[in-house]
Amino acid sequence: MHGMTTYFIRRLLLIPVTFIAITFMVYTVLRVVPGGPIEQAQLQIKLAMMQEGGATVLGGAESEVQIPEAAMNELKKYYHLDKSIPEGYARWLWGIVRLDFGRSYVYGEPVLDVIISKFPISIYFGLIGYFASWLICVPLGVSKAIRHKTGYDTATSVIVFIGYSIPGFVACLMLLVVFGGGSFFDFIPLGGFRSANWAELGFFAKILDQLHHTIVPVIGYLIGGFATMTILMKNSLLDNLGADYVRTAFAKGLSEKRVIFLHAMRNSLIPLTVGIGQALGLLFAGSFLIEKTCNIPGMGLLGYTSIIQRDYPIILGVLVFMVLIRLTGNIISDVVWALIDPRIRFGK
Amino acid sequence: MILKLIGTALVFAAGYLLTHRALPLLFVGAGKALGFDMKPAPHWQKRVKRFKTMKRGYYSFLIITTLFVTSFFLEFLVNSKPLLIRYEANVSFPAFREWSDKLFFFADLRRMEKRSDFGQVGDAEVDYRLFAASRRDPGIFDRQLEKLDAELKDVKKQLASSRPGSGSTAEERRDYADLREIVPAIEADIELVARARVAFADGKASIIMPLYPYSPGEHLLDLPGSPPHHPDRTHILGTDDSGADVFTQLVYGFRISLSFALIVSGTGYFIGIIIGGIMGYFGGWVDILTQRFIEIWGSIPFLFTIMIVAAIVQPTFILLVGMLVLLHGWIGMTYYMRGEFYREKTRDYVHAAEAMGATDWSVMMKHILPNSLVPVVTFAPFAIVAYIGQLVSLDYLGFGLPVGTPSWGSLLSQGMQYIKYYPSLILTPSVALAVTLFLVVQIGEAVREAFDPKVFSRLR
Repeated sequence: MHGMTTYFIRRLLLIPVTFIAITFMVYTVLRVVPGGPIEQAQLQIKLAMMQEGGATVLGGAESEVQIPEAAMNELKKYYHLDKSIPEGYARWLWGIVRLDFGRSYVYGEPVLDVIISKFPISIYFGLIGYFASWLICVPLGVSKAIRHKTGYDTATSVIVFIGYSIPGFVACLMLLVVFGGGSFFDFIPLGGFRSANWAELGFFAKILDQLHHTIVPVIGYLIGGFATMTILMKNSLLDNLGADYVRTAFAKGLSEKRVIFLHAMRNSLIPLTVGIGQALGLLFAGSFLIEKTCNIPGMGLLGYTSIIQRDYPIILGVLVFMVLIRLTGNIISDVVWALIDPRIRFGK
Repeated sequence: MILKLIGTALVFAAGYLLTHRALPLLFVGAGKALGFDMKPAPHWQKRVKRFKTMKRGYYSFLIITTLFVTSFFLEFLVNSKPLLIRYEANVSFPAFREWSDKLFFFADLRRMEKRSDFGQVGDAEVDYRLFAASRRDPGIFDRQLEKLDAELKDVKKQLASSRPGSGSTAEERRDYADLREIVPAIEADIELVARARVAFADGKASIIMPLYPYSPGEHLLDLPGSPPHHPDRTHILGTDDSGADVFTQLVYGFRISLSFALIVSGTGYFIGIIIGGIMGYFGGWVDILTQRFIEIWGSIPFLFTIMIVAAIVQPTFILLVGMLVLLHGWIGMTYYMRGEFYREKTRDYVHAAEAMGATDWSVMMKHILPNSLVPVVTFAPFAIVAYIGQLVSLDYLGFGLPVGTPSWGSLLSQGMQYIKYYPSLILTPSVALAVTLFLVVQIGEAVREAFDPKVFSRLR
């Protein structure tokens, strides 16, 4: 156990290093390239000043709207832009440590509040998608393994390959256009998290409405890992069915059902749990593509719109969460793996 | 219609012969001429043979490679410029020139067919579609002449009425002089059109259009109604909201997507092989430090980072390839190559090579690498699938190739806007994407099976 503890401590210590390396890189990119936060803020202040003193500004048409020097410096100070890049970054990092992510330009609220308000939506879809993929891929993989090299196996393989060939968001688009677009059918809403009048609905209508909006994005999430997970399940069960302990179990005279589902299955499920860490990333951070396609106001859509709107505090905030979730997710999947499989020994 | 079908069949037949008969011969011949032994090693021969027995994968391979090689001649097949245009003594090959301009972009051969050289009024590029129509319908010239005559009469009338007298200002005199100069220009145009009518009637004009006479960059704004258009007989998949033909965008998009994926995975693998090889071969601190670096670098959310950069700097093809390779593409292969090199370096043949005084570099590249190519070959098709998907995603989000580049992703994002009324804008690129990726996945499965066969044995 000693080697493992040091292994995990090393992994944990690597988190801050990785975190700083990545955020520093993106921070530098955002500072160096034009169109940065100061230009954005400048633009907004100009617009505000134009609206306030509309008449005077229009009257003196020649005088460009100028931000007073003092206000400019104030602004730079606020975003630590009067400092060099390393110092500005250090201050930003210190803010993150104190959970002060700054304020969003667009929403005007603290970044942390905005991000946290989006979390549950992404988690909702991510969780359902993850469980649905287990519910579908495991039985399918098992049945394919049991009927290896039969007509059933070939036929389902074709389905699996088709699933692998369609990116999740494209599947969402196709479902939306066929079942929600009205050109063919019209019984699925065109995206959104809930209907606009959700709050007025009755209890069961609420559930129904929520499910109604859940189907398409969940299929999108599902299709992303569908092929890999099914094939992994199949191959891992086939591997185990050829192992000596299965031969022993058969030799003892156990029934095939018992051997497959009680003995081989338990070991075959282990490789599938490796994906937990990545799934966690998707769970929390959502997917840009699916959330944009289905218009779900989660973390992914927030990241996308913040890039479009050049809302730098939010961009950096989303980045922080994505990196942290991914890093901890990797460690969690190692821990889970080590916990359920006593043969796994990290570090040596 | 039937002629076009026959033409299409001939094109595919020629593409197949070029891809699977001519090119391999050329490749082997060139290799032999350069002094290489082009006979593959026996275990490679065995793998290729095994690959060919897997029908699904092998036929997918034939289809995809044929389509891809053929797509490099798209300018001759799907283009609004004619293969050949002839008028009196002027003969020109606009499609060929466009093709050579794209292929040899460094040698700027751009010359334009001027209208006046081809019996049309003006200095701009020839209106090829009008040219083709004029051959079918000589009435076009009559109508043009009528219009020009009316214009001439109009100008002459104005001239008569505004003849400056002794009391005119300088400005009036100048206008009059300007107006008088128009007369010979119109007369020249009339002469040009009249001559063209005779030339066309005498068969001195001919034009050969490609099979599908439209280009992806062409905005067909004179079609009835406003774009996007639904599919019809001439535009078999309709047009997008800028009036560009969807079918042309799909086929040109195929070439771009596949080239993009090949270039990204090729460069990524190249870097990955070198770095992974160094890690596995030298081991020790080099290995540990590089591993830590990869662990950090691999945790970058690369899609998000590319989106951030692309939102600020409009990406070009090269920049997009560079970012994908740098942030993501090279990492995957290092794991496998590190393992392969680590295992192979303890083998006897490596010791033998070292004993004979081979340098580290030559041991790595000449001795170990050829024995470590199985992961490269088996993962390549899946990498191509992934990168085609990535390009489509980036284009779809609006952070991909520049606007105006034919792309499946931007068609999808357009389709998203017209989801209620133009389902074909989503369905056609989706199906094109799915079919392409499906074929590549089939190749990948067959290659994996041929190179790394798994035999499962089980009791019942």
